[in-house]
Amino acid sequence: MTRRAHLIARDGRFWLLVLALALTLAAIGAPRLTMAREARDLILVIDVTGSMNVRDGRPGGPPATRLSQAKEGARRLLAGLPCQSRLGLGIFTERRSFLLFEPAEVCENFSAIDGAIDDLDWRMAWEGDSYVARGVHGAIAMAQGLGADLVFLTDGHEAPPLAGGELPAFDGEPGKVAGVLVGVGGTEPSPIPKFDRDGREVGFYGESDVPQENRSGPPPADAPSRAGYNPRNAPWGGEAATGTEHLSAMRAEHLRAIAAQTGLGYAALSTPATVISAVEAGTRARPVEVRVDTSALPAAFALLSLTALFGVGAAAARRDPVHLH
Amino acid sequence: MKWVATAWDGLSGHWGVDHPAVLALLMLALLPLLATPFRRGGVPAIALIPEDRVSRLMSAALRLAGMVAILALVLGMAGLHRREQSVEREGTGAHLVLLLDRSSSMDNSFADRAPTGDQESKSAAAKRLLTDFVARRPHDRIAVAAFSTSPMPVLPLTDHHAVVDAAIAAIDRPGLAFTDVGRGLALAFSYFSEDTDESSRAVLLVSDGAALIDRRVQEALRDAVARTPVHLYWLFLRSRGSKGIFDVPPPGEDTPQANPERHLHLFLESLGVPYRAFEATSPEAVGQAITEIDRQETRPIRYLERVPRRDLARVAYLIAALCLGLLVIAKLAERRLMPSRLPDVRASAIADEPRRAA
Repeated sequence: MTRRAHLIARDGRFWLLVLALALTLAAIGAPRLTMAREARDLILVIDVTGSMNVRDGRPGGPPATRLSQAKEGARRLLAGLPCQSRLGLGIFTERRSFLLFEPAEVCENFSAIDGAIDDLDWRMAWEGDSYVARGVHGAIAMAQGLGADLVFLTDGHEAPPLAGGELPAFDGEPGKVAGVLVGVGGTEPSPIPKFDRDGREVGFYGESDVPQENRSGPPPADAPSRAGYNPRNAPWGGEAATGTEHLSAMRAEHLRAIAAQTGLGYAALSTPATVISAVEAGTRARPVEVRVDTSALPAAFALLSLTALFGVGAAAARRDPVHLH
Repeated sequence: MKWVATAWDGLSGHWGVDHPAVLALLMLALLPLLATPFRRGGVPAIALIPEDRVSRLMSAALRLAGMVAILALVLGMAGLHRREQSVEREGTGAHLVLLLDRSSSMDNSFADRAPTGDQESKSAAAKRLLTDFVARRPHDRIAVAAFSTSPMPVLPLTDHHAVVDAAIAAIDRPGLAFTDVGRGLALAFSYFSEDTDESSRAVLLVSDGAALIDRRVQEALRDAVARTPVHLYWLFLRSRGSKGIFDVPPPGEDTPQANPERHLHLFLESLGVPYRAFEATSPEAVGQAITEIDRQETRPIRYLERVPRRDLARVAYLIAALCLGLLVIAKLAERRLMPSRLPDVRASAIADEPRRAA
């Protein structure tokens, strides 16, 4: 070994440089691994009925209608879904869930889907009624037909109230379609804005503006004890029903009951990001393969050895004065 | 300062990183300014060293190589890439709004009854043919709107036809009760209200019936058309036995209430924009009408062709490797200043203990 070779071989800095070079070359040749990620196929149904216009935005936040909160949550969900997931959009009003478009790939069509969610408006509703339970049942059938899972954003406000407070029968198989009901809105009853024919806001619904009791079907068991009860002429009692149906709060209990009946999950939308966690917990993942580049790992070690090289050098330069051989 | 912002926009518009937080490590690139991978040798006086520009350049170049190597490694780790770009090209096509009737009568066959095994419902026929139509027009920007009891925006104008297909695929689902065609048209025109592009704009109305249009809605439609002229096509899926658009009823029966389809046709004609109505009584006739529309809408359009994202991490690592190679070569070429008369033993002793030697 010559003297110079010997000197170089004993110099740690040389070896750090060689190591960094070797690792960088390794980074250039690093393989791309195939890894599984969890994509999802979802049908997103958003309630656009009148009670979604209630402005009981998040506590501390600016007043926002439930619909705009639901839309924000939906857009977060869209942004949070990994590529190759597919998302379809529907609206719920009256007693139907109405499909706007079938599931489409979220990354390729991001701006179109995002724009479609943004365009949702209460004016798309065609009737003031809001049979939430039936809408969920319909949406489950729709999701099943499309082979997708269901995400249903609603405040759970039934208008008119359910007859006898009982859920309509669900004729599907509970749990066959996975999905999650997301409750939108505050827990305090709030007035529902009222709009005129041209869509201008003209105040709030009063107690006598909305049906306080569902008087279709047989009367409830307690009817005979009501004032003015007559089995033929006044089977629901002689007085107009009173109640708080003109105020709306998010009906968590009702949504839980629907969720239990249909085998869906339930989560309340406390922040827009809760949709994502609810969907991750409540829907089925479809493993898809993505190519993952591994080159960052050797590159990181190359950077580490370079940092060591220069860092040690810098520290040493500070510590010792320049010396003479 | 304006040019800085412009330059930044230009940069950030074309380039991107996947993990911006990693960019904090760029500070490490300052290290080569503070230290060198080479042995430091002391000389008794700087005056002993002659002024040598080549040496200075070499020293600066080696420092620079170290900095570039670190920068390139960090950028590579952060996932540097050139973003997906759009290149503007000229082709033939149009900005098109598909305005689709989602009323429940669309679920019937052309014989206006529930379709039997070998018959196709009107909506299924429309779905099949519209899907073909969209596939034949790759450069169109297409928006989708639906109307029934109320107008419903489905998709904004988009170049991505996969999602348009998904929206067309949804039209043969059970529809709603009514046909509010007036407000549907108003919604369709509203898509163009902010569209300032030079290209041809068209609305394709697909319906199997019509309804009275409120006088106020009529006025709103006239206003909208005056502001942004559009080409109008009405594909009327006529069921057997129903009144046609072109039939003139006997005098006295020609009222909008009795013949809403004919009066919608007259109204659309009176708007003063290019308008054609196609009366299709069978799936084949629908196909012919769509071919005709396809032939008409061939004005030039500027469309965006997308160039996919290009990852530059490998390029960054290659640059880092070149810089490191340079440093390694420089390191191999390193010589020590030392008196030549010293024996080997002392030299290695000095190499081992440079600090004490000082």
